[in-house]
Amino acid sequence: MVKNMCTLLQHGGPDDEGIVTFTENNLVLGNRRLALIDLTNNGHQPMHYENRYTITYNGELYNFATLKNELWQLGYHFKTGTDTEIILAAFAQWHTDSFSKLNGMFAFAMWDNKEKKLYLVRDAVGIKPLYFSTHNNGIAFASEVRAFSPIPFLRQKNSSTAIYQLAYGYIPEPLTTLAHVTQLPKGCYITYDTNTQNFSLQSFLYFSFSNQINNYETATQSINKSLSNAVQRQLLADARVGVFLSGGIDSTIIASLAKQQNPNIETISIYFDDENYSEKKYQDIVAKQINSKHEAYLIQETEFQNLFPSFLSALDMPSCDGLNTWFISKYASSLGLKAVLSGIGADEMFGGYPSFKRIDKALTAQKLPKLALQLSDNTALKNYRRASYLKIDGIRGIYLFLRGHFTPNQIAKHIGAYDTEVFKVLEAAPNSPNLLSVTTKNKASWMEFNLYMKDQLLRDADVMSMAHGLEIRVPFLDNEIIDTAFSINDNIKFDNNVPKKILIESFNALLPKKIWDRPKMGFSFPFANWLKNNEMVQSLSFNTNKNVQISYQQFMEGKLHWSRIMSLLILNNKNY
Amino acid sequence: MGKALYEQTILHDTDLQVLSMHDDDLSAENNKYFPTEKFKGYGAAKSNFVLAAIKESFKKDVVILSHINLLVVGWMIKKRNPSIKIYLIAHGIELWQPLSKLKQLLLKVCTKIIAVSNFTAQKVVSSQHIKINKTAVLNNCLDPFLQKPLLKEGCHATAKKYGISYNDKVIVTLTRLSSKERYKGYDIVLKALHVYKTKNSHFKYILAGKYDENEKFYIQNIIQQFQLQQQVILTGYLNDSDIAPLFALADLYIMPSSKEGFGIVFIEAMFYGVPVIAGNKDGSVDALLHGELGILVNPESVQEIENAIEKILQNPIAYKPNQLLLNNNFSYNTYKEKLYNILVQ
Repeated sequence: MVKNMCTLLQHGGPDDEGIVTFTENNLVLGNRRLALIDLTNNGHQPMHYENRYTITYNGELYNFATLKNELWQLGYHFKTGTDTEIILAAFAQWHTDSFSKLNGMFAFAMWDNKEKKLYLVRDAVGIKPLYFSTHNNGIAFASEVRAFSPIPFLRQKNSSTAIYQLAYGYIPEPLTTLAHVTQLPKGCYITYDTNTQNFSLQSFLYFSFSNQINNYETATQSINKSLSNAVQRQLLADARVGVFLSGGIDSTIIASLAKQQNPNIETISIYFDDENYSEKKYQDIVAKQINSKHEAYLIQETEFQNLFPSFLSALDMPSCDGLNTWFISKYASSLGLKAVLSGIGADEMFGGYPSFKRIDKALTAQKLPKLALQLSDNTALKNYRRASYLKIDGIRGIYLFLRGHFTPNQIAKHIGAYDTEVFKVLEAAPNSPNLLSVTTKNKASWMEFNLYMKDQLLRDADVMSMAHGLEIRVPFLDNEIIDTAFSINDNIKFDNNVPKKILIESFNALLPKKIWDRPKMGFSFPFANWLKNNEMVQSLSFNTNKNVQISYQQFMEGKLHWSRIMSLLILNNKNY
Repeated sequence: MGKALYEQTILHDTDLQVLSMHDDDLSAENNKYFPTEKFKGYGAAKSNFVLAAIKESFKKDVVILSHINLLVVGWMIKKRNPSIKIYLIAHGIELWQPLSKLKQLLLKVCTKIIAVSNFTAQKVVSSQHIKINKTAVLNNCLDPFLQKPLLKEGCHATAKKYGISYNDKVIVTLTRLSSKERYKGYDIVLKALHVYKTKNSHFKYILAGKYDENEKFYIQNIIQQFQLQQQVILTGYLNDSDIAPLFALADLYIMPSSKEGFGIVFIEAMFYGVPVIAGNKDGSVDALLHGELGILVNPESVQEIENAIEKILQNPIAYKPNQLLLNNNFSYNTYKEKLYNILVQ
């Protein structure tokens, strides 16, 4: 069974496979490896340590040199150059206290053959996924939901998948498309005792807002220093690492910092031949300024149409986005790169989204009587159509109002249910905290960081890159920079007029004016036009559900965003 | 409790909101137990706190009142949301004496009263006319962030600071020394040590913790009276980081108190491998597992206390508490599981 599970995930680990069995304890661990540090067979996993510990590990540890030195001084010796061995040694030394010392993106299972306990651990930002189930006694885990399909008693589907997909555009954590499989919350670990079959969850690291940095200059200096450190750490690899260059502020900063560390740094971009969508001009400015080895890849409609079915089959759980990441990952991988740095995280921490401006009004509107909010569902005013979501208490009501896809009323029609049923599902889970003590702008930041980024951006990035055996690294989500960003007083962190002003000013010396002072792009991708010509999309016009046909018509008339039609298409074409 | 609730709520994908009447938001900053966004402090703005508590509880399933003084708020919450379950924490002496008729009536709003010891639960039953099945026992636990035990050999600096020489036996009491609540029994310990000194004078008694001036005067008088100036050290306030070295040097922890709700300090001392002596007339009985983990004495009997000291100091290693037993009963994980079971019952 574990062999089958591994085979289902071989796209993300093309370099090696390993399976170990602990017959006495009914435990089998499997691993597919994507090798980045110590490319020799030394990195074979699952990896054993001192005849006691065994690990199967997915991810990257960025402070492994520091930890290695610390452990070396405590008398540890190392047989390999892998970060895997450092995690094992750290666990041998500090046990579960070692988890909070790890700076990186990771999901791993650690078996202690003496205590007879299995530990499942996930990084504090939720960059790497770890799905698990304790249904039917015992425990099963994997990096993607599809890997559970060989397990007969976990096949039951989540009956609310369509509601979540149409409301959010993805399935929000900790839920999955399977009824008995959940995502391990970030910064937490599960301890599973094979003797008693009991398990418990503990939190080992989280990030909270504070007001420790109140001086603007201190703030910009700290941001500059911590991001520079993070990029330096994340460029460490024994395989080729590149940088995704979109032409925006975040990737320009990362690429410039990377160039300082590695004179031969490669930058990669995708662009379109339609001038309206192409960011090529800006990508070229940056590539020229930093003098990187730049590769730009033109995506044309024919290629898009040909590859679209491969993209669909790469999807693990449904998601309305991820297309662009799929394409650029494919390109990076074909260039022979094993990992790329991406700018994910900057918008969330430094105020790059419209939600930072809009949240204030949304919070006020959430206090309106529920009946008034209900009426909005049928309003002709586009901006207010999702106001009925504000009936949902807490931050998720705000989120769905600002970022939701279909309205509850539209969802109900699409799935043939009542509005009340839709609300009931969305209110029941996931939990929607109030964030009483968090300031307004930090609420937006919390929401983007913990909901949109973690549940959609990071998941898409992981699945879409792994589909091509590529690793996406996210320097903005290094522990040091998050610590810095979260400690800056929100009065100086966010500017009402210029998004990410503090970030821009932290890297004044690196950023060309043309990059930060440029007209906003409407849509970044010509996908809407291409999807209109797509056969699979067109077949929605024959859908048995009248409301799908209506949505199709609206899409064709340009009244429905392409990401919405993607959700409908995926739900119709994949068997969730 | 915050950490335990936080972890149970993330595991079960439910919400946690911690409200504090007296603290402000800053007091939760950088705490290791739960993220600050779970916390809201009202900095003594009492009416704002009460309104928020009622509002926040409206859609919640469970409210835990951390002190008897919040009982009225609990009653208002229940009026607004009758299906809510309300739990009150009984820490100790605040519920040992019969409450006013009104407060006893308000107690009925509670689904259960969670007592920190079986001893306290029994007192609640007998003093407040509460049925035993309306109480639950949840012993305090070892803080999961306690510094790991140190080796005695590595604590020279602390030994030197307190003037401990190689063949001295070290006796410790760690508590706030307050003239207003004089029930910790260290004064009786001083009397017992006066007797013990006639048999063996190679010992140090470290009375650790913050003291007020009155209490200092009171203690110094006793020290002089019993001529223990060479043996007794008053440390004053200690930092968290001073605790592990202190216990690493200790051969005995003694605190024959008489009004302890539970006595976290006993389980902490035992966590550091120190043999303990406690009183048998309060919640300490729970902390020592009825004597399984240490020696219980009549807190008023100088004779009993002196005997116990002598017994342990003759062979401290033989009285080292059983770590497995300690962990099974008072580990953080045990606490978390028990708390969850109480709340979902």
